[in-house]
Amino acid sequence: MSNETLDHDDIQGLLAWGYGHLPSAAWHLMKVTDRRKAARWLSTTTELVTTAAGESPKDVAINVALTPSGLTRLGLPGSVLDGFSPEFRGGMTTEHRQRVLGDADQRAPKHWQWGGPQNEDVDLIVLLYAASDAALAELEGQVLGDAVAIGVSPVRRLDTTWLGDREHFGFHDGISQPAVAGLRPGRPEDTIAAGEFILGYENEYGKRTDRPLLEPAADPDGLLPTAAENGELADLGRNGSYLVVRQLGQDVPGFWRFADAASRHNGGRSSGSPKQAREALAARIVGRWPSGAPLTLSPEGDEPALGSENDFGYHDADAEGLKCPIGAHVRRANPRDSLEPRPGTSDSIDVNKRHRLLRRGRTYGDPITPEQALTTGTTGTGDDPRGLMFACVCGNLARQFEFVQHTWVNNPKFAGLYEDPDPLLGPAGGTLTIQAKPVRKRVTALPEFVSVHGGGYFFLPGVRALRYLAALAS
Amino acid sequence: MLATLPPVDFPPVVPPIAGRVEQSALSFFVDVRPGQEEELRAELQAISGDPAGNDVLPFGELAGVHFGRLVLLDAYPAQGKRRAYPAKLCLLTDFDGELDDHVDDVLDTAGAGLDRLFRHCEGYPVGAGKRSASAAARGAWLRDRVVRTNTLYVNTVGRTVEQILQEAELHDAIDAFLDDGDWTDASPRRVRAAIQDFVNSRHDLGWAMAPLPERTVRDWIRGAPGLAKTPLAIAASAPLWIPALPVWAATLLAKEATDPTEDDLEPDEAHDAALAALEDHTPQNQFTAHGFVKDGPFRNLTANVLLRVVDYITRYSFNRGQLTGVTTIHFARWVFTDEDQTRLLFASNYDGSLESYMDDFIDKVSWGLNAVFSNGVGYPRTWLLTIGGARQEDNFKDYLRRHQVPSQVWFSAYPHLTAMNIENNAQIRAGLVGEISDRECEKWLARV
Repeated sequence: MSNETLDHDDIQGLLAWGYGHLPSAAWHLMKVTDRRKAARWLSTTTELVTTAAGESPKDVAINVALTPSGLTRLGLPGSVLDGFSPEFRGGMTTEHRQRVLGDADQRAPKHWQWGGPQNEDVDLIVLLYAASDAALAELEGQVLGDAVAIGVSPVRRLDTTWLGDREHFGFHDGISQPAVAGLRPGRPEDTIAAGEFILGYENEYGKRTDRPLLEPAADPDGLLPTAAENGELADLGRNGSYLVVRQLGQDVPGFWRFADAASRHNGGRSSGSPKQAREALAARIVGRWPSGAPLTLSPEGDEPALGSENDFGYHDADAEGLKCPIGAHVRRANPRDSLEPRPGTSDSIDVNKRHRLLRRGRTYGDPITPEQALTTGTTGTGDDPRGLMFACVCGNLARQFEFVQHTWVNNPKFAGLYEDPDPLLGPAGGTLTIQAKPVRKRVTALPEFVSVHGGGYFFLPGVRALRYLAALAS
Repeated sequence: MLATLPPVDFPPVVPPIAGRVEQSALSFFVDVRPGQEEELRAELQAISGDPAGNDVLPFGELAGVHFGRLVLLDAYPAQGKRRAYPAKLCLLTDFDGELDDHVDDVLDTAGAGLDRLFRHCEGYPVGAGKRSASAAARGAWLRDRVVRTNTLYVNTVGRTVEQILQEAELHDAIDAFLDDGDWTDASPRRVRAAIQDFVNSRHDLGWAMAPLPERTVRDWIRGAPGLAKTPLAIAASAPLWIPALPVWAATLLAKEATDPTEDDLEPDEAHDAALAALEDHTPQNQFTAHGFVKDGPFRNLTANVLLRVVDYITRYSFNRGQLTGVTTIHFARWVFTDEDQTRLLFASNYDGSLESYMDDFIDKVSWGLNAVFSNGVGYPRTWLLTIGGARQEDNFKDYLRRHQVPSQVWFSAYPHLTAMNIENNAQIRAGLVGEISDRECEKWLARV
């Protein structure tokens, strides 16, 4: 892996941090209504954008990303737009991409609350973070104040609720994250070439992912960085990335009611209290215990001391899935060292490294406990009051986000299984096979616990690229 | 640079097993009559509504067909020193048994239905006035246009469609049986005995208790000539090719350094959308790609030798469930589409998405694919045929997508089964009878 120096002060901070110090956050979907005013607004806002330089901010953070329609409305020529990846240009809602992402039936974009074909165009997303709700309100006023004056009008405010390191089903989340080489240190298995997440740098193949490179004439003022592979060309992608946002509703009552009912006869442990039994089944769906302890290291019960443990593989400890089911959510979203070629070796990990996501999601809606969930009616699909505003960043949408979603998460055939899509995220009707001795148990007819209410692909430009885009209209 | 070649474990070469039916491929190409492309395309569109049972060419009614496809290759107008090529219709099948029998089966089963396809093609013995071609004339015409498949990969040689479907049924039946029981405290041997009793009790599964033929000494004796032929031919001709090798390598390196690539070209959006519309409807997908072989006798010779060598390796070595670690390919082939060997077609049937398939290519088989594909015009730059090429990810993926062509009609006999499912089902059946150790019993139970 090459050791290229990263331009920290040109990289948006979202690539470096999830802003854990800033519990209040709102993501604003916006539409450009007046190109010139919007360009002026973008020019001003760009100077406020949080970068990867220094420490994770303690007061506020601002990041901005754009859709293809946003880039076009700001005046980016189609010939330049063509330099972005086809997945980004085509968007999340094409017919084929619905099959790839599993957005069928109730999850289909036509039912979405935003980002779907029936919804208003989204041109950009402004991600705002602050230390308190009051500070967030102030920041919103400062950045987005008067829609008419700034030339961008609100499409939707994506609210978030801070649950610390928990997600709504009650599990410790966000434990496993790749370490972007040059941005932060990490264990070797998790340290990923910068180009996997930041355009313009070498990726895990030692190549620079395709992105728009411009003739010098297109950047007469030299606003953009130059391309590393060709100093003549201006690099619109450098220090930028792709941002995936998906609003995932979580049916928390449905999840715990199912775990409770199913663990009474065919799931989890037969011994122990009903609470232990349903937690054991829920843990097999997730692959970690509520504390975060990996089943691979603690198969019999939760072990809070291992709640942030991430230093483990599957092959040596549990190749057959007797501790953590092969189809469990975390085992398929990040199979570590378990897949071909040569599981348990660095060859396997090298392949895994080409399919990592930098997750930047936030929860939304008020939480309820599993006990409350058991006494509440299921919300069913489409109307969940809570969930995850899933967000991830990657340099190659097809090989990273879409691959993980299609080949690992949604794939009923994952790792030799038959009809087992992700038990946590999959559609209704799936099976969870729990490998066991003498023979496996199967939890069948899983309900749908997670629904999709909106989503989009965005380009998260470097700061210099933002300045360039702002200058297009002036 | 050589250090970047991944290690490859070649399984030992083995001969076919007597009593197990081998798989073959039909490759048939015919020129389309000028101006008939759109009518033919409409016919293909109609067939694609029901590839298994349509009344033109019902793939599902043919005996032992694993996969089948009809592909219409667009006409290619003369460009520079390249001649024009008329549009071509391709019929490709992967099936159990001998080619001659399969062709007879196609002719008998489809009969006059084939006229609706072939009347748009050059030389077909039915004119506008005539109602139908005679069976004899139709047969002779079709047989005339069947060509030798240059390289064929079969996931598991000797495994028939019938066996695949039966073993899937066995798996599902055992699944349901196990779901109904409580096995918590049962010993592995007791569980296996219960499964054996269950299968024995099911008359429709009686076949499963009869073991399949195993490889014997007799197979080795019978298969030895086939196994030895290619290595012997290579050894015998060594006095010819060893002295020529340095010249060949020097020529290759010079050409590789200067052959034009198409790295700057991106896939066309409409083309991409047309291909995507046909993809990811089931756990399986099809892939067809077509392109020019680089000009001249040097590349022609290199490609022909490599296609032969790869065909030998896939037939005798990689014939048991995997191709250099890739376990998702059911069948794949390379075949020249034109008599002058100017264009090569690659067709495969695989599991998962094109993205995962291409990633497997890059991560696991790049050297082998490079060796053949790098003789194609525009392929990303290689070094000594094997290094580079597919490892230039974006250029390689764009190259494949741009050379991919839609398979207007595609048939799979078992669209819901992945190659890994099929292999696992076969292992379940294989372990159902006979004496096995405690450890083997546990491992077998992990499969059910």
